Amino acid sequence: MFKSILSKGRKLAGIGSIAAALVAAAPAVAQDKEPIVFGGSIPLSGVFAFAGVHLHAGLTDYTTWINSQGGINGHPVKYVMEDTGYEVDRSVAAFKKITGSNTVPVYYGDSTGFMKTIASELNSRGSTLMSGASFATALTDNEQYPNQFVPGPNYTQMFGIILEYIATQGKDGEKPTVAFVYSDTEFGKDPIENGKAKAAEMGIEVVEEIVTKPGSVDVSAEVLKMRRARPDFVVFHGYVLSPINEFMVQMRQMGLDTQFMGTFWSSDKLIINKMGEDADGYMGVMPYNYYDSAEGGPMLDALRATAEKSDPDAGYRPTGYMQGWFNAMVWTEVIKRTMDAGKELTAENMAESLASIKNWDTGGIIGIPVTAHDMSFPVGRIWRVNAKEGRYEPVSDWIHLD
Amino acid sequence: MDWLFFGEISLAGLAMGGLYALIGLGFVIIYKATRVINFAIGEIMMFAAYLFLAFAGGMEMSPWVALPLAVLGGSLLGGVIEKIMIRPMLGESSISVVMVTIGIASILVGVVEMIWGADPQLLPSFLPRKPVFIGEMYLAPKIAYGFLIGAALLIVYLLYFRFSRGGVALRATASDQAAAYSMGINVRRVFNLAWVFGSLAASLAGVLVAATGGLSPQFGAIGLSVLVVVIVGGLDSIVGALIAGVFIGWLETVAGAYLGGEYRMPATFAVLAVILVFRPYGLFGTHEIERV
Repeated sequence: MFKSILSKGRKLAGIGSIAAALVAAAPAVAQDKEPIVFGGSIPLSGVFAFAGVHLHAGLTDYTTWINSQGGINGHPVKYVMEDTGYEVDRSVAAFKKITGSNTVPVYYGDSTGFMKTIASELNSRGSTLMSGASFATALTDNEQYPNQFVPGPNYTQMFGIILEYIATQGKDGEKPTVAFVYSDTEFGKDPIENGKAKAAEMGIEVVEEIVTKPGSVDVSAEVLKMRRARPDFVVFHGYVLSPINEFMVQMRQMGLDTQFMGTFWSSDKLIINKMGEDADGYMGVMPYNYYDSAEGGPMLDALRATAEKSDPDAGYRPTGYMQGWFNAMVWTEVIKRTMDAGKELTAENMAESLASIKNWDTGGIIGIPVTAHDMSFPVGRIWRVNAKEGRYEPVSDWIHLD
Repeated sequence: MDWLFFGEISLAGLAMGGLYALIGLGFVIIYKATRVINFAIGEIMMFAAYLFLAFAGGMEMSPWVALPLAVLGGSLLGGVIEKIMIRPMLGESSISVVMVTIGIASILVGVVEMIWGADPQLLPSFLPRKPVFIGEMYLAPKIAYGFLIGAALLIVYLLYFRFSRGGVALRATASDQAAAYSMGINVRRVFNLAWVFGSLAASLAGVLVAATGGLSPQFGAIGLSVLVVVIVGGLDSIVGALIAGVFIGWLETVAGAYLGGEYRMPATFAVLAVILVFRPYGLFGTHEIERV
C-alpha cells in the first residue's frame, strides 16, 4: 500500500518536474498580458466529425505554434472549444457558454446553419469576428453578415475557379460541356444558380443538372442520364465521398471519357484512400497547398513541423487540418493589424482589418499572395489525383478571382 | 418518349426496390412475431456493413467469406439486442419499446464511431464490375448482382417460413401468441428467432446497399426510408413488404429521373399519405394492427 502511494507520488513528482521544465523552456510569452481567446464550436462528433477532429487538430496546433512564437503581440493565445455534434442548438449553447466566461474576439463556427443562426446575436454584440468550416456564399454578404468571413473562396468562387479551368480545356476552339451534380441540401445547392450564370457568361454549356439525396444513395438512374448528356466535365458539390465514386466508376464502365471535379470538402485524400485506382484523374479545387505537396514556405514548413511534433504517428494531415490552421492564421493577422492600428478588438475593427488584407504572403499555405474580397479569399488551384502516387498534383496555376 | 431510357430507369428502380424489400422483410418479420417496431433496423444494417468492412478490408478476408460472417454478426447482434434489451420490456407499452429501439440505434452509431471513426467509407469491391445488359438496356452491375443475392435470400426465407418447423412456429406465434404458447411453442425462443432472422435480412441488405452507395455512421437513416415501404405494404405483411419495396424503389427512381432528385422523397411520401388515408393498415396489412 505504502509502496503504491510512494510510486504514485514519484510519478506525480515526475510529471510535475516535466511540466515545470516545459514552462521554463517555453519561449517568452508575456505572462502579464491578458490571453487572447480563440473560441470554437467544434464538431468532434456527429456527421461532420470526420473533418471536425482535423479542424480541431489544426486549431490546437496553430495555438501551440503561435504561443511558441511569443503569442500575438506578446499576448498568449488560449483555444477554448466545445464539441457540438454538428447540431446547431449545441453550437449555439457552446457559443454562449464560451463567450459568457471569456472575452472572445474570434470564434470558429462549425456549420453554415450555426453561423447564420448566430449572426444576429453576433451583430448585436459587436465583439466577435467569426469564421469556420463553412464556405457558404451567403456568409460573404457583408450587409447581412458583416462579422463573418470564409477562410478561402466561397462555394460560388470555387465554381468560378473550376469553370475558369474548364474553359481552358476546350479543343478546336470549342468550349467543353459540363454537368453539375449536387446534393439536395443547402450546402449542395449553394453555388448552383451562380455557377450556371457564370458558365453561361463564359460560353460553357451546362448539359445536365442532377440533384441527389446526400449520403448513401444509389445513383444508377442518374448515371443513365449522364450517359445521354455525355458531358466533358462533371462538377460535384455537396458531398464528401459518396456518390462521387459511383458516378465515376459507372460512367467509366459505360465508356464515357468525362472528367470529374469537386469542391473543397470533396477534394481530400479520403477520395484516394477509399477509391484507390478508381480515383485517378479526379480533380478538386483547393485554396491551400496539400500537406504532402511538393510546395514549401516558412509557414507551411512550420505547420508540418508542428503537426509532426504534436502527433508523430498521424502522418498526412487532411485539408480540414489546413483549414483549421489557416482560420487561426487569419485571426492572428486580423488581431495583430487591429492592435497595431491602436484599435480595440471589436468585430467592426477586426472586419476592417480583414478587408485591409492585400497581397498577404501566407508563407506557403496558399501559393500566391492573397487579397481579401468581400470577407473571402477568392483563390484556389486545380489539383488532380495521381492514384499511383497516392496524392493530388497541381494541374493549374493559382487562380485569384477579382 | 425514350422508351429505352424508361426501361433502363425502371430496371434500376426495380433492382433497388428488391433491396428495399429485403430491408422491409427484416422489419416485418420482427414486427409480425413480436409487435415491436424496430427503429434500430437501419443501424443493424450499418453495423453489419461495418463488420464486412472490418473482415474484408481490415482483415483482408475474401469478400465471399466476409459477407456471410458480417451477415451472421448482424443477425447475432439482433438476437442479443432482443435477449438483453427487448425481452425485459415485455408487457411495457409499445411506446416504451419503440424508445428502447431508438436508444439502441444511438448506441450503435456511437459504437461504430468509436471503433471505425466518423470518416465516410467505401466497402471493398466484391461484385463483378462488367456492365450488365438486358437486351439493349444497361443495368449497373452492383445493383444487378445485389438484387440477385437479395432475391436468393428472399426465396430461402419464403421456403423456410413455409416448410420448416421454425418457420411454422414463427407464423403460428404471429397469428396467435396465446394459442401458440398453449400448443407448446416456445414463444420466447420464437421472439428471439424473429429478431435473428429479421436482422439477418437487414444485415445482408446493409452490406449490399453500402456496397452501392458507401457507408458512414449516418447510414442507418436509410432504415427510416424503408419505414415508408412497410407502412405502404402493411406492417405485418411479408408479401406487402416485398411488393411495396419493389414498387417504392421503382417509383423513387422514376420520380428522381424524370422530375429531379429532390422529388424522390416527396413522390414516395405522397404515396404514403394516400395509403394512410384510404388503407391505414397498408395494402396488405391486417386491420387490427396498432399504430404508434
